[in-house]
Amino acid sequence: MSGFSELIKNFEKTRDYVRDFFIYGFKVRSDFDRKSARTYDDEKRRVESWLDGFLRYDDSVRGRQVSISVDSGHVPENPLYKAFYSKSFTDNDIRLHFLIQDVLYNGAALTLREIVDEIDCRCGMLFDEQTVRNKLKEYISEGIILSEKRGKAAYFSLSPDRADEFFNEFDGLADAVKFFSETGEFGVVGNSILKSAGAENDLFFMKHNYIVHTLEDAVLYDILEAIEQKRTLSLRTFSAKNRSKKESENLVVPMRISASVQTGRRYLVAYIPLYNRFNAFRLDYIRAVKSGGTFAGFDRIYEKYCHNEERCFGVSFGERRENGNVAPLVITVKIGGGEEYILNRIIREKRCGTLEKLSDDLYALTIDAFDPVEPMHWIKTFIGRIVGIEGGNAAARELFRDDIERMDAMYNDNKGEHNDDIQ
Amino acid sequence: MTIFSEIYGTYYRIAARAMVKSSVTENEVNELIRSLGFRDSALFLPRKLLPQKDGSDWGLLRANDGGTLSRITVNPPPAVLTLLQKRWLKAKLEDERFRLFFDDETLWRLTEMLADIKPLYRRVHFRYFDRFADGDNYSDPLYRENFSVVLSALKSHEMIKVAFTSGHGKRISFTCLPVKLEYSEKNDKLRVLIRKVRSGKLSGGGTLNLGRLEKVECTGFFFKDPVEIRDDRIKEPVTVRIEPERNAVERFLMEFASFEKRTERDLESGACTVSMYFDRSDETEVLIRILSFGAAVEILSPPDFRRQAAERVAKQRELTGSPKG
Repeated sequence: MSGFSELIKNFEKTRDYVRDFFIYGFKVRSDFDRKSARTYDDEKRRVESWLDGFLRYDDSVRGRQVSISVDSGHVPENPLYKAFYSKSFTDNDIRLHFLIQDVLYNGAALTLREIVDEIDCRCGMLFDEQTVRNKLKEYISEGIILSEKRGKAAYFSLSPDRADEFFNEFDGLADAVKFFSETGEFGVVGNSILKSAGAENDLFFMKHNYIVHTLEDAVLYDILEAIEQKRTLSLRTFSAKNRSKKESENLVVPMRISASVQTGRRYLVAYIPLYNRFNAFRLDYIRAVKSGGTFAGFDRIYEKYCHNEERCFGVSFGERRENGNVAPLVITVKIGGGEEYILNRIIREKRCGTLEKLSDDLYALTIDAFDPVEPMHWIKTFIGRIVGIEGGNAAARELFRDDIERMDAMYNDNKGEHNDDIQ
Repeated sequence: MTIFSEIYGTYYRIAARAMVKSSVTENEVNELIRSLGFRDSALFLPRKLLPQKDGSDWGLLRANDGGTLSRITVNPPPAVLTLLQKRWLKAKLEDERFRLFFDDETLWRLTEMLADIKPLYRRVHFRYFDRFADGDNYSDPLYRENFSVVLSALKSHEMIKVAFTSGHGKRISFTCLPVKLEYSEKNDKLRVLIRKVRSGKLSGGGTLNLGRLEKVECTGFFFKDPVEIRDDRIKEPVTVRIEPERNAVERFLMEFASFEKRTERDLESGACTVSMYFDRSDETEVLIRILSFGAAVEILSPPDFRRQAAERVAKQRELTGSPKG
């Protein structure tokens, strides 16, 4: 046990392991070849400790698989938040955390010297001024401590805003935080408020809930700050297919976070000055970001991006520059009488498209997107109703035909049993 | 400013809880560690939180003569809201769903309270490109009123009487107990998970779209204890085989990450087998999502689920004919 701690200094390394345990679940010890076996054992043990009750072990011919198995739609709290609550600290960090807040508890405004003396007087612990000054500085930036100058002296006081008092003062806030702690951006921050106030979500479940997104919150914060400040970012990304491959570095101008609520993939869409083009980077493949200087042409590029975005079915800007204009994709779908729910489905789910009634039971959906391959995944949810696909990209049409042929062969043993009630 | 900071950490939180009362027992501290800590925290935390003879502990609790422990601070630890937490709250003020929870006066006071705080992010920074277009209308007065009644009933375990018009145009009304509110990012809708009540007793479960409710009334009848949702999970998992083509393994596992599942990879072929559970009411949705992976994913079982896929594929083949022919 010597040397092992369930707390960590660096979130980045752990993020990788938690993601692999959660998403893949089939990996065994030897698959984690990025670091030593000892590192794997330590990381696995930490994850076991944090996520006790959600770990699953399966013995395969290749060895023991460890996976995080969660029915995300039926948990009151995202269990992966626990990874954020595991930051290591020093003995003095935790002592000063409680002692400084204690001496400033009743609204007192004290100087550094007075704080040091009061801690010594109350608790018999003498800290050097520099140590306390550093902690005060850190807590000022965290918003826990307020400082003001009176003459030449700096006075420190405790922020009067308390989680439990906010919940009492603003009726409905506790419930709102319960809701947003489990959905939307940075839910873990809401969860930390609940924990601070001694509350927990007992009201809401979240369907279609990609709890793994929380692991990206650390890099996401820096990206959003850069967008807000119109700065460049240096992105360090890795290849999902080959983790041992050298990581890539890109200097980009971040535009927006583009997310799929159906596939769970989230991207940073950014402008790459070197290639004078927009590109999408998977958030979960971004290892680290570093903020750069202000980008002078931000507003002009952003305006262009917003204009182009209207023709992105997802996040792809296609290859029009290389291939010239691409014809719109036209999908003809058969919808029988009494099947208005299919029509409604198309209306609520279509993007970049216009729907036209061709006859009593035929409808044509025209999708004019930059990348005609991107809608194909969604179009295949209508398998059993697609009368024709025209335009777009020949390779995508061929792939669709090939898919249907292979699926037909795959499910051949069930032929001849179909009925007409397809939803 | 980051959420990955010890000030939000589990150890700090346990220490704070141990210092709420002016006096605690060692057993109470150990129980806090057991209930709030990680699985292995009991191996590490007691020797730092509880007084040690060699002084190697944090010194936050002091041993009394009577065998109890006292905090060394005069006051209980305050739950100070950090700037990050206030910036998060400020960002949520921009979200119309957030406003569902407040009356106008309270919302105004909260807005005033956070007036000088910069939001953590702005909505415009995010684009959810495949969210359904027919999401709930959160600013509709009837919707807001119904939400408020349902939420209140949910918290107090009160039965409600609901009325709505079914998809077939039939007016329906019954009494039920709201058990949870369920939100879907994909549908952008709130649903009420209910248990039906007949003659004062719980019967089946169900789901009501909040946006379709025309009337929600309190009944004045309460259940004493919280009631669990009815288990709607399929009994036998759906098992699929994913071929290692077009990055399908990664795409599939990511897309279906919200389900409880078991995966196994065949080292020779690189194919992956996934068995997963979901609610029975989601069967059609899951089926079409699997089909959208084309030939890269094959449904292996259960037979009835596989048959439904086969029917759709056969119908598709009828519509488009022999592709190579």
